[in-house]
Amino acid sequence: MYRRSFLQTLAAVGALGAFPLTAGRALADSAAAVSVQELPPLQGDLTLYLGRGEGGLYENVLKAIRDRNPKLNLKVRTGPTAALANTIVAEAKAGIRRADLFWAVDSGAIALVAEEGKGQHLPADLVEQFDPVFRYEKWAPVTGRIRTLPFNTDRLSAERIPDSIMALPDSGLTIGWAPAYAAFQSFITAMRLLEGEQATRDWLRAMNRRAKSFAGELGVVMAAERGEVDVGLANHYYTLRLKAGKPNASVDLAFTKNDAGCLLNSSGIMALSPGDLPVNFIRYVLTREVQSYLASEAYEIPMVSGMGMPPGLPPRDSIQPPDINLTRLANLRPTLDLMRDVGVL
Amino acid sequence: MNRVINGLAAAISILAVFAANPAYANGEVGEHVKDLSAHIEEYSGEVRWFLDEADSIVNTYADKGASAAEPGKLVENWEAVKFHAAIETTYVPVYASIWQGIFGIHDAIDKGKPVAEVRQQQEALKQAMWQALGAVKLAAKNQAEQPVAATSTGPMDPVSTLGQIKDNLDRVVAKYAERDVDTALNLVYDTYANRFEGVEGPIIEHDAALVEDLEKDFNVVLLKQLQGSASVSDVEQTVKGMKSKIERAQSLLAEAEKNRRSVF
Repeated sequence: MYRRSFLQTLAAVGALGAFPLTAGRALADSAAAVSVQELPPLQGDLTLYLGRGEGGLYENVLKAIRDRNPKLNLKVRTGPTAALANTIVAEAKAGIRRADLFWAVDSGAIALVAEEGKGQHLPADLVEQFDPVFRYEKWAPVTGRIRTLPFNTDRLSAERIPDSIMALPDSGLTIGWAPAYAAFQSFITAMRLLEGEQATRDWLRAMNRRAKSFAGELGVVMAAERGEVDVGLANHYYTLRLKAGKPNASVDLAFTKNDAGCLLNSSGIMALSPGDLPVNFIRYVLTREVQSYLASEAYEIPMVSGMGMPPGLPPRDSIQPPDINLTRLANLRPTLDLMRDVGVL
Repeated sequence: MNRVINGLAAAISILAVFAANPAYANGEVGEHVKDLSAHIEEYSGEVRWFLDEADSIVNTYADKGASAAEPGKLVENWEAVKFHAAIETTYVPVYASIWQGIFGIHDAIDKGKPVAEVRQQQEALKQAMWQALGAVKLAAKNQAEQPVAATSTGPMDPVSTLGQIKDNLDRVVAKYAERDVDTALNLVYDTYANRFEGVEGPIIEHDAALVEDLEKDFNVVLLKQLQGSASVSDVEQTVKGMKSKIERAQSLLAEAEKNRRSVF
């Protein structure tokens, strides 16, 4: 029943100083990632389809890449990730390819494009930058977000929270959730794939009797912080951001082990055109500098192996996300049907 | 009148080039909106004609009652004029007021309200129409100086995204005033999922309660109002409150961006 928590983590890495940590210190253990200094300059024309997200930080990354590569003519089309994925597929069916690259905020959209046979094979040295469980032939994970259990530190300790997500409904705790949220639905998809449909159905029914619904996952975290619920279900960054602005907030993070409750999902990038230029662009996105930037500024988890976690999260090797092919999370339809069937949606 | 128009100048200069993919009430927008200056005289004539027709409908109501007045013609007339698209594509807040005025007269007649009440609605419509003509004239001037851009496909910073969210909220009111509830609802869903969720993260660090408030506004308050037949005024008030919160978020993010570390 060992649990990790914010404060425990900060105590364990006390040398890193008080929250929030600077990225330089928090990410000091990076090793495998390549530095931008080692990369060739980018020259030529590229068109990137960019799914919106991360409060403009992806745009800051693109600006930095442009500034560093004055001979790169980078055109960017932004839009909802799912819409861009559908556009790429539709353009391909019409015999057109306008995008050389696709950077999506969720792996489901990438999967949609990859399943249509689009995307270039990535070179082995690039793929090997990732832990084996996150290696894909045609796309590279960029940064991730993990499912967590934010809990009220005035009402309970981390030890009171089960380390199995399936045990949560029987924990006797009051729970907050946001079932309409896309990240929650990906989590339920993972549960369906890992535990089976019947177990997921039973879990949803049991939770539905206990849980209080919120409009969004920030609402869940804030309800836990206020003590309105004991524990919630939310992506990690809401709590980290809340703690960044309010370091004494009465909320901490707990994690389950090897189940959907600590699913690590990620954004991803793929090359749609052949040649070195799109692949080398991807190398820039995966550099130590960009990974560190997105970790410190967006609280995203760097996916390149050897990089440290964003400030406020435990070390990577102490978190045990389930072994699941992220592209399988694209199939949301059975999840939504199940959630509607049990009256959660 | 000039004061009102001058007050709208800043908003119009932005809205004249808004890049959303709006659904328009009267089908195709028409080429004329790409060259507003060339059509100002035509628009002015349409406004005068539309208001004369409205006056005629109200006079008929006063003389002969509701069935003779045919208030449904107000909607038909409004959908027939080119000026409709001109204002819809340049300044949405006043576009909503026009629909409010049209349905204000329509409903008052349908319910057999006293003529004085109908005249009040007519006066509101008249003010909205003249204000709208002023707004289109100003947009025409801006358009002549800086031609309308094609749909933007470039990256967008969070402060600009929040500005676009405010524009979308104005469109929600406009569509609701037009009684196109489905489009209004879809616009709320789309704006929340594809705009607000992308920028809420950095705001949380500075004012988490503000983000939580906006989440409730988007997902509970506004949706319930749109689905529950709230008055246009109530929806307008909610949107006004949301826009004020978004303006605070814009200030917070603009300040935070100054201290942002560099990537490389």
